[in-house]
Amino acid sequence: MPAHARKIALEELLRQRRLAPVGPALRGERRRSPLSTGHTGLDTRLDGGLPRGQLSEAIGPASSGRTGLSLAIASRVTSTGGLAAWLDPLDRLDPASAAAAGIEFDRLLWLRGAPGAPRATADAARVLPTLIASGIFDLVVLDLAGVPAMELQRLPTSTWIRVQRALEGKDVALLLLATQHVAKSPQGVKLAFEAATARFEGTHPGRLLVSLRAAVRPGPLALRGEGIELPAVRPQR
Amino acid sequence: MFGGVHSPEALPSPEALIEVARRFTPRVEAEAPTPVLLDLQGLGRRWPSPDALGRAIFAAAREKSRTARVALAATRTAALVLARGRDGLTIAAPGEEKRLLAPLPLSLLGVAPEQEELLRRFGLCTIGDLAALPAAGLAVRLGESGPRLLRLARGEDLRPFVPTPAAEGFEIILDLEWPVDGLEPLSFLFARLLDPLLASLRARGRLAAALSLELGLVDGSLHPRALRPAAPSGEPRTWRTLLLLDLEAHPPRDAIQRISLRATPTPSRAVQFSLLDPAQPSPETLAETLARLHEFTAAGRAGSMTLLDTHRPGAFALASFAPGPPRISPLRAAPFPRMALRAFRPPLPADVMFEQGAPALVVAASVRGAVLDHAGPWRTSGDWWDAAWSREEWDVALASGGVYRIYRDRLRGGCFVEGELD
Repeated sequence: MPAHARKIALEELLRQRRLAPVGPALRGERRRSPLSTGHTGLDTRLDGGLPRGQLSEAIGPASSGRTGLSLAIASRVTSTGGLAAWLDPLDRLDPASAAAAGIEFDRLLWLRGAPGAPRATADAARVLPTLIASGIFDLVVLDLAGVPAMELQRLPTSTWIRVQRALEGKDVALLLLATQHVAKSPQGVKLAFEAATARFEGTHPGRLLVSLRAAVRPGPLALRGEGIELPAVRPQR
Repeated sequence: MFGGVHSPEALPSPEALIEVARRFTPRVEAEAPTPVLLDLQGLGRRWPSPDALGRAIFAAAREKSRTARVALAATRTAALVLARGRDGLTIAAPGEEKRLLAPLPLSLLGVAPEQEELLRRFGLCTIGDLAALPAAGLAVRLGESGPRLLRLARGEDLRPFVPTPAAEGFEIILDLEWPVDGLEPLSFLFARLLDPLLASLRARGRLAAALSLELGLVDGSLHPRALRPAAPSGEPRTWRTLLLLDLEAHPPRDAIQRISLRATPTPSRAVQFSLLDPAQPSPETLAETLARLHEFTAAGRAGSMTLLDTHRPGAFALASFAPGPPRISPLRAAPFPRMALRAFRPPLPADVMFEQGAPALVVAASVRGAVLDHAGPWRTSGDWWDAAWSREEWDVALASGGVYRIYRDRLRGGCFVEGELD
């Protein structure tokens, strides 16, 4: 096919948005496997998991399973010898939950925002490119769930462009936890969580919270959600 | 010939006697500030007689300690024991050591207290008493330590002289003709200072474990800074970046007139990497990254989490981030998603309406709604001997959406939302 015909065909694919999110590797291009989410069904739908060098996001309402899934990804990274960073401007991460998820503590860098600091989110967004550019982490999680929308809007418009620039060519996967859509790379994935159902079992006073039944749609155009059962961390008493 | 110098009284500095010894010979053995042993072989040209040399050492030692004792003898054991046991200056002519050692107490030989007590019960009080005994009889009664003690009592050496290397100072100072203001010119000056400083370290097979920077300011004050990264480094570029990042966070209040850099040396590290494990970050990259995150690290809000050995809910500590070698086990089950708590720090004060002892309505700052279902209460308490806590917890699913962990403080009263289950 002549060059101009290939160009027209490519433009047509772009217009129809039918380009595959991950094309074949170019000559000399090094690609490492995506980061598994720990859920087989979801990994299949995501072509292996979270893509590296991309900004992905996990969005959903309270108690939808975003944190549980993110901790499982971080656990997978740390238990296979990688390093992860958890940027936590609202200081919401619970070490007991991280331990239950199987995270190797000495391989997770936790950056906690100061309590009540007015610029905690802005500070976190500012150090994000530093974490990415260091090249030592396989996964960086920025936890913006619960940050007021007004505060997110106050971030400089160049924030996510700088983050995307920093991600280019890097082996790190960036995952944004949020309540609503904040930012995403063209080839990053968007995990849209729906409100989860809490499953209680037994009768009072011995009734137990057994699990959260979450549903996540891997991508904005996905028609069908993937069901995830998140068992409770609390030991059964 | 060997010289022993000892001070029964406290010294003005731990290095005082070692400094005195090094004035006479570079071969000095010192396991502690006192006593100090000198190897005096080959000093015959400079000092015509042992008496003259002994008097010179004694005079120099008395400048540092009024009670300093000096002894010269043919063996290192005799020199050390005589210096510890006899006042003033003692010069033992060859063959005379045994006679001089004889009246001294056994404790000077470094005998263990229980062994000294045993020897006392045998009727032995002085070194001379022990030296007069036959080796075979001592070996029968004291085992292998018997002949060893006997050789010491006769002034014989059990091991050769091992000189202690002199402490090396790695310091570089630059006095500036014109004061420097701002970090950019400092970057060039640091490069000029760090290159020779770290090259001298590397030439001795050392790295810098820490760096002390002292900036002399125009107003006469000093601006001291100390850097100790997670791992030692001999890379000038890394240290320069760390210094600049530190000064960016803690800038001097005036222009700089003088720069002093002192490195703390440490032996080079030998790391065996694995072909099969994932590549690990170099300590230099890790230290640089953490220095760039100084907004979090300086406030103690970045690091590795560790759980504390307590049942108190939410108890944890933050340790410095220093990842060790990966512990990869193929037998370990693959992690899968679990419910996690998103903690509120501090917990949100809440108004909770109870019906028949169970929560029915929760109202807090950002959490409110009727309770659809709940599990609990779980009663926990602890630390009654210190900061006691006692609480009842519930996991509640709210009609407005969300599952939360709430608790009632049974000691201080009041209800709180501990976190969101996500």
